[in-house]
Amino acid sequence: MHIMEGFLPVGHAAGWFAASAPFVVAGGVSLRRILRERPEARLNLAASGAFAFVLSALKMPSVTGSCSHPTGVGLGAVVFGPAVMAVLGTIVLLFQALLLAHGGLTTLGANVFSMAIVGPWASYAVWKALRGLGAPIALAVFFAAALGDLSTYATTAVQLALAYPDAETGYAGALVKFGGIFAVTQLPLAIAEGLLTVVVMNALSGRAGHADEIAVLAGEAR
Amino acid sequence: MSPIDREAHLNRWRGKPLAEKLTLTLGMLLLTMVLKPWPGAALVAVVMTAAALFGARVSPKLWLACAAAPLGFLAVGAVSVAFRVDLHGVGLAPGGLAAAGALAARSGAGVACLLFLALTTPASDMLAGARKIGVPTEITELALLMYRFLFILADAALAMDAAQAARLGHATKARRLRSLGLLAANLLPRALDRARRLELGLAARGWHGDMRVLSDRLGPTARGMALVASVLGATALFGVLA
Repeated sequence: MHIMEGFLPVGHAAGWFAASAPFVVAGGVSLRRILRERPEARLNLAASGAFAFVLSALKMPSVTGSCSHPTGVGLGAVVFGPAVMAVLGTIVLLFQALLLAHGGLTTLGANVFSMAIVGPWASYAVWKALRGLGAPIALAVFFAAALGDLSTYATTAVQLALAYPDAETGYAGALVKFGGIFAVTQLPLAIAEGLLTVVVMNALSGRAGHADEIAVLAGEAR
Repeated sequence: MSPIDREAHLNRWRGKPLAEKLTLTLGMLLLTMVLKPWPGAALVAVVMTAAALFGARVSPKLWLACAAAPLGFLAVGAVSVAFRVDLHGVGLAPGGLAAAGALAARSGAGVACLLFLALTTPASDMLAGARKIGVPTEITELALLMYRFLFILADAALAMDAAQAARLGHATKARRLRSLGLLAANLLPRALDRARRLELGLAARGWHGDMRVLSDRLGPTARGMALVASVLGATALFGVLA
């Protein structure tokens, strides 16, 4: 869920930019190192970023009947790793604002924090933890994508609650309000995205000639 | 693929210097956030909408279509600010309507600013500008390549989607989800394959990861910047005094 242009007060907008900056800069530094060693990785990364954008512009059916788009957060985090996702995600979010009028420029910092930092790191942590426990790949992919999605929405709800606390019940009340609205729409979406990511990973690993290509890409991106 | 991008290339203010359009947009965004929502932000919304529709002659139909999705988000957000939830149930929050109105004015103005920039300036122009102000070349180069890939991949995705729809791939929700998964899984290897072919072609031409192109865009003129500054100044003055 992108926070729209102009929705956050000036202090919050600036604060989220400051919070996101270290992650994006760190991602940029590691990206620079990768590109200096292997300039050809640049085209792979650009194609993957464009893929994430196109995926996010497609409609995904949801259980409640509402339609939304997949975020690709889980898929990206599992395949490319969360550090590079911070930079790729920032560029994708910028293009979404400029080419789809989705999201915004002043709220870019907050959106980057929820969608390009918290979501990928949560997905990656779930993926690593479940694989470490010996869970099957499909199960790990499902939970990585679904929980990455949910953590993104939870972060957005927290951001909105911090910006607009309830007059009486304060931050907690506001969090219940925004969280309640999101839970109705986003819980089914998170499950749908989890299932979708499993289908994608299954189909990808089924293509024998290309499965190792994904592994190579993932290796060089991390 | 993106009607916004098409309009950005075809509108009347396409050739205006990037610095002027960007200064106007960012200045107005700043005013939206620091001025009082009424009448400051409302005035910003009017000025920027007029600039897009009458100045740059952006199609009003497209403008409305682009504004619809953010305004839907705004409706949900404003409702959650206007009402409160406690142990007794749901009720109107004290001062909730005023807060919701202020939020609507601010966000509406923000959307007007964003749409002005998105509909008058192609993303490629903005990336060229980003390089000029010192954003690392690696990042802008990556973004430019991504921009290039976007439209090719989107075409492929639309064709796949149409083919799936023609074969009852959208008949039920479960099939739709499966179709979308297959589409994504087929698109990613294609994207990577295309990247590899492009890289081979570029490597054969001695590419070292830096694409230099000649830009025919003019720099900002003193007259244009003065005009932008006076519009910003007048809006700020009106917002402070009123």
